Amino acid sequence: MQSHSLYVSADPSFDRKFAFITYGLLILLIVFFTYLHHGRPDVLQVPDNANISAWKNPSLEQTNIYDRMTGTERAQVREKGVPGTGILPVLFDSQGDLTAFIFAILCFIHARKHYGFWMASCFLIGSFVFTGLQESIAILLGRFTAGQAYAAAEQVTHGTYFFTKGVLWFIETPVAVCLSWFWIAYACVFTAGKVFPRMGVLGRATIGGLTAMIIDLWLDPVATSPEFMMWLWAKGDLIRVLGINHSNFVGWFLLIFLFAILWEWMPALVRKWGRAKATIAFFGIVLLTDVAMLIFLVVYNTYFVRNVLHLFGVSELQIPPGW
Amino acid sequence: MWRKIWKHKVEFYPYFSIYLFWFVGSFLSSLRVQNRPGIVTLGLITIPSILLITIAFVKTYKELPAD
Repeated sequence: MQSHSLYVSADPSFDRKFAFITYGLLILLIVFFTYLHHGRPDVLQVPDNANISAWKNPSLEQTNIYDRMTGTERAQVREKGVPGTGILPVLFDSQGDLTAFIFAILCFIHARKHYGFWMASCFLIGSFVFTGLQESIAILLGRFTAGQAYAAAEQVTHGTYFFTKGVLWFIETPVAVCLSWFWIAYACVFTAGKVFPRMGVLGRATIGGLTAMIIDLWLDPVATSPEFMMWLWAKGDLIRVLGINHSNFVGWFLLIFLFAILWEWMPALVRKWGRAKATIAFFGIVLLTDVAMLIFLVVYNTYFVRNVLHLFGVSELQIPPGW
Repeated sequence: MWRKIWKHKVEFYPYFSIYLFWFVGSFLSSLRVQNRPGIVTLGLITIPSILLITIAFVKTYKELPAD
């Protein structure tokens, strides 16, 4: 990201209306889904952190973590529930609501200074909705269509997952996760632009996506361990990296790569259509890309991965073996 | 050096966020994980990203106007 070419100057009248509508709508959605998650968990069949035996689609036995747990760990989790679900860890853990909020604020201040309020807001709200929708669709598809959750038995490669902790929720994704997507994507793509200023947008988006994905290669094995259980993935993926569905890492890269390209396109849209039309076009393209990415991931997991593995004469791959 | 960084702290917010998140979310948390031999050592995999962020940090510092 090169700030001089991507800076869009303030238009107070438009920016006020834009902020009122977009932030207002987002806050309303968060309030609604937070109520639904905590107040009416029956509607979206939210798994109960204290009653693990009641989990369905996936049950504990159908998750990757089950095979990696010792007998003692399984018994402990069944008896005591998901660890660290009190309000303090949920707020202050490294991936807690408050922590994510602070990092997001810091990165937003930086983005506003370098790219202007409108560009910074589009990055924040765009990436929030982009990732929140993508994650929630994958979660709910699995939860309500058992075909994905029973992936291992039915030899379907794409699995499902769910998050266990969060105060605020956007559909079925913790707001902390959506905010983390924003600031990690922003920081990584900005870093790529700083280190390689002459590189084109594709190069910067690639390096930004890889930078974030590499950080995640350590973060997720820790976050999914029995000590944290921040999110749990159903079995069924044919390639697992460090005990985690490899699609997770493909998703990390793709989401940041695609979003960075869309966002850097915005100043050109403004010059062509003006700010109002550019805003509508941007969010429309973000939603379409979300759907396209979901279709791509299903096709990729169901057909591509299976056929590539068949070519090499293997049915499953665990990297590294025995992890 | 620290005074200069503090004066222009906004420029370093993305790097601070990643460093802190990496240190607390990955390193300190990995120390709490039992029964996963090698999970702390696994952190070596993040060296390319941390190196890149450090280069960006130094570059940002060098680009700051002199006090």
